[in-house]
Amino acid sequence: MSVLASAGAFASTATLAPLQLGDLFTVEALSSILLDGLSKAALYALIAMGLTLIFGLMGVLNFAHGSLTMLGAYLGGLVMVTLVTTTTGPFARLAVFFVGLVVVFGLLSALGGALEVGLIRPLYDRPPVYQILLTFGITLVIDELVRIVVLFYGLQPITEWQAALGTKPEFLSGSFTLGPVSVAGMDLFEILLGALAVGAVWAFLTRTRYGLVVRAGSEDAEMTEALGIDVRRVFTTVFALGAGLAGVAGMLLMWDGNWGASVPLATETLLPAFVVVIIGGLGTFRGTVVAALVVGLADALTQWLFVNVVDFPSLPEMTVFLILVVMLVIRPQGIFGRAEVGGH
Amino acid sequence: MSSSDTPTDDASGAETTPDTETASTGTPLLAVEDIHSYYGESHILEGVSLEVEEGEVVALIGRNGVGKTTTLRSILQLTPPREGRVRYRGTDLVGMGTSDVAQGGIGWIPEDRRVFSALTVAENVRIAVPKGSDVDAALAQVYETFPALEERKAAEAGALSGGQQQMLAIARGLVGENDLLLVDEPSEGLAPQIVADVAEAISAASEAATVLLVEQNLPLALDLADRFYVLDNGTVVASGDTDDVSAEDDDLRRYLTA
Repeated sequence: MSVLASAGAFASTATLAPLQLGDLFTVEALSSILLDGLSKAALYALIAMGLTLIFGLMGVLNFAHGSLTMLGAYLGGLVMVTLVTTTTGPFARLAVFFVGLVVVFGLLSALGGALEVGLIRPLYDRPPVYQILLTFGITLVIDELVRIVVLFYGLQPITEWQAALGTKPEFLSGSFTLGPVSVAGMDLFEILLGALAVGAVWAFLTRTRYGLVVRAGSEDAEMTEALGIDVRRVFTTVFALGAGLAGVAGMLLMWDGNWGASVPLATETLLPAFVVVIIGGLGTFRGTVVAALVVGLADALTQWLFVNVVDFPSLPEMTVFLILVVMLVIRPQGIFGRAEVGGH
Repeated sequence: MSSSDTPTDDASGAETTPDTETASTGTPLLAVEDIHSYYGESHILEGVSLEVEEGEVVALIGRNGVGKTTTLRSILQLTPPREGRVRYRGTDLVGMGTSDVAQGGIGWIPEDRRVFSALTVAENVRIAVPKGSDVDAALAQVYETFPALEERKAAEAGALSGGQQQMLAIARGLVGENDLLLVDEPSEGLAPQIVADVAEAISAASEAATVLLVEQNLPLALDLADRFYVLDNGTVVASGDTDDVSAEDDDLRRYLTA
């Protein structure tokens, strides 16, 4: 009998699966967990990067971030279903995807910039709760608008926009075999795109003057302003960049069968994004990337265990939040966090 | 030393100042005219007026909490005055953004240094160099003036000693190509030997820029400055030439003790 047998209501659903714990230490299992973990980490990093950049510089907890991700998924899907036909080849589909990525990044950046200038900027001198309420309100408005549009046009028959999922090239739906290891095409694609996005943002922050300004502004916006730099303009740019990154994440999720373009995607992505940002240390980009890796790999490991050793597939969903609880107890400021960050 | 009665009817005094007083030969580089500044509802500056001529080093002295730092913040528009004017080269700064004020050539070396601790020494200097200026030349100038900073150029500024951080803060002010430097309590919390180095650095800085120096260390302030203003309870209560007073002057010391 499993140790979970005595766990009250859970006991009836818990049964022993064919594999034993020892099976974890095989090349197949470890490589499968590693690849699954890296693909999850890539998605978490993509979802959370914009959120952490915005909080780090401006001290704004953007509750609308998940909705921007969801908008990116729908807009990206719209580009795909508009331009891809049944005769479109796999590499042409991939090319359309990257064109869509640029379009979505541009549109979401413009929306983010407009939101910052029009709605968030007037609240900078108010207590943070005003910004939280405002961005939460923006979430409700965006979600409701999208719900109305997708229902009106019949784009969401069940929970996901299947038409957008169908535009994915076949080689991303299948798996590749590398020796003893089987690799899902979509996992590889997510790892590649996530690494590219992290690398690009990293290079922006560390190799450009604007990135230097963002890092300085994140630490002391007032001092940065006193050096002759218009920090408000930097705020707008970073909010736009954060929104654009949310859109890029959304477009990638649109092709992922575990997520897909759907209205609930807003909440489904916002929660792990917050968890990753808090674990990494609010507002630190490096922390967010490391936290995404930690959470992604832990998520993949527990998922493997609870699918293959203990047949309890719904339990791993709690892993992310359990890590958050442990982190808040032992190191509330997160892995790379300081006592105080952000602000203006 | 002469006592100066600060006008209490500040608004009228400020508003009657003619706007036509623009950059003519006799115009001071900086003229703070009867400013009133607040933190929330707390009235901190109650009609401060002072002038700084080009090329001068002017000290603003007074004990803790009398409004010295607020005066500098008001000049920079970080704490914009609700009444009064701040004229720089004849132009009123009140209502301008801080970045515009800084771009006009006013640099700030703040209390507690406020270096960017997560940025390297070189990055701290680089960000202070105005856009379009030669960064490499600025770095070379800094390393020549402060050799200790060159040794630590790749280190994060947060890892520097207090004295090195003060050097870096001064260096940041120097490379900003500023005409006026607002220097706030540069000797605070530093060992005597380091204070001597800092004094030397400020003295060097004053060769390139006009300096308004906030300082509680009276001997240091009088040694560096040409003129001084004494601030007490948010108003200027005395001013004069530093040559006419000494650090042992009882009247002056009275304003520096609680």
